[in-house]
Amino acid sequence: MKTCTQCGSKDVIIERKHSGQRLCKECFIKGVNKKVLKDIRKNELLKKGDKVMVALSGGKDSVMVLDILNTYHERNIIDLCAMTIDEGIANYRQDGVDIAKRHAKRLGIEHKVVKFEDCFGFTLDDIMHNDPKRGACTYCGVFRRWIINREARNMNATKIATGHNLDDETQAVLMNYLEGNIENLTRIGPKTESRNEKFTVKIKPLREIPEREIALYVLAKDLEVHLAGCPYSSTSFRGEIKDFISQLSIKHPTMRYSLLKGFDKMKPSIKRDFTKEFPESKDCIECGEPGSHGLCRACVFKKEIENNITK
Amino acid sequence: MFTLIRGSKKEEKEIKNDDYKIIDLLKELDLPTETVVCKKDGKIVIEDTVIEDEDEIEIIQVIYGG
Repeated sequence: MKTCTQCGSKDVIIERKHSGQRLCKECFIKGVNKKVLKDIRKNELLKKGDKVMVALSGGKDSVMVLDILNTYHERNIIDLCAMTIDEGIANYRQDGVDIAKRHAKRLGIEHKVVKFEDCFGFTLDDIMHNDPKRGACTYCGVFRRWIINREARNMNATKIATGHNLDDETQAVLMNYLEGNIENLTRIGPKTESRNEKFTVKIKPLREIPEREIALYVLAKDLEVHLAGCPYSSTSFRGEIKDFISQLSIKHPTMRYSLLKGFDKMKPSIKRDFTKEFPESKDCIECGEPGSHGLCRACVFKKEIENNITK
Repeated sequence: MFTLIRGSKKEEKEIKNDDYKIIDLLKELDLPTETVVCKKDGKIVIEDTVIEDEDEIEIIQVIYGG
């Protein structure tokens, strides 16, 4: 009978293929918590007095971030608030929004729900039903980042926390490398930096935790989460990369870890040689958001979509 | 026989042999083990767990592929 390698309990909930470690619920939760707290310290993601805005979709990753950061909040180390984006994806997004609301209420924290429709005048479904030039994820990512940056300032947050996990990070590294986007690689990491004070620092506390362990964590702790997959995700290049990494990891279970470790070793060199030095960044002439020349990407996309919808 | 729960669907299934494990069930259903978390009688278990008579096995999809 397989028992927990830490405490001997026979109620094993995970067998880590890359290490042979087997853990019961209590040892697993304790171990993951310890790992995330260690990574927060190692990467200097938080400091006392931070007000952290969690980008809370109601999915397993952001609910786990909220749960772990709440331990800092309870100890009065940080202030915590949450923001949920409603892209207007029918039969999908509402469940996540409702779950996010319940968590924020349970923890007694400030929570805002922001809709694409209110920000831009259309939903993601509207975009995709009107002869879009680009994939759903391309539009969605740009619009979501625009909202996150703006709302962090509105909520006076000093940090934005997202639920990006090991799978997300390794996909991002591989996607950008395969597409030859070396400059984008300079921006992948546990914490963003920007000289522009309109950009709030983003942190990724779960960056080294594999996606499946996040799912296991929230289920083991009986945290309510929205597990369904986005109906638009099957059409993306990221989805192809995800399948590719999953396939390789069957016979090579350490692959995600070694990929990220290798990247993190290389990153200082890539950053030194490939960071694009922009001249003093100007705000978008349309919306005032930072970091662009002329129109920001969200405004460029918005004009493109408005043209399509009125055609 | 055991009960298989997937989402809101419940069905009774036969236990194929003495050493019938969750991993065998997942292979039959063509479900990669990495994409699901399984419960036996409400408790999370690993895929190497034997399915016994009258067990309630729940398969929860946690990861969606590309």
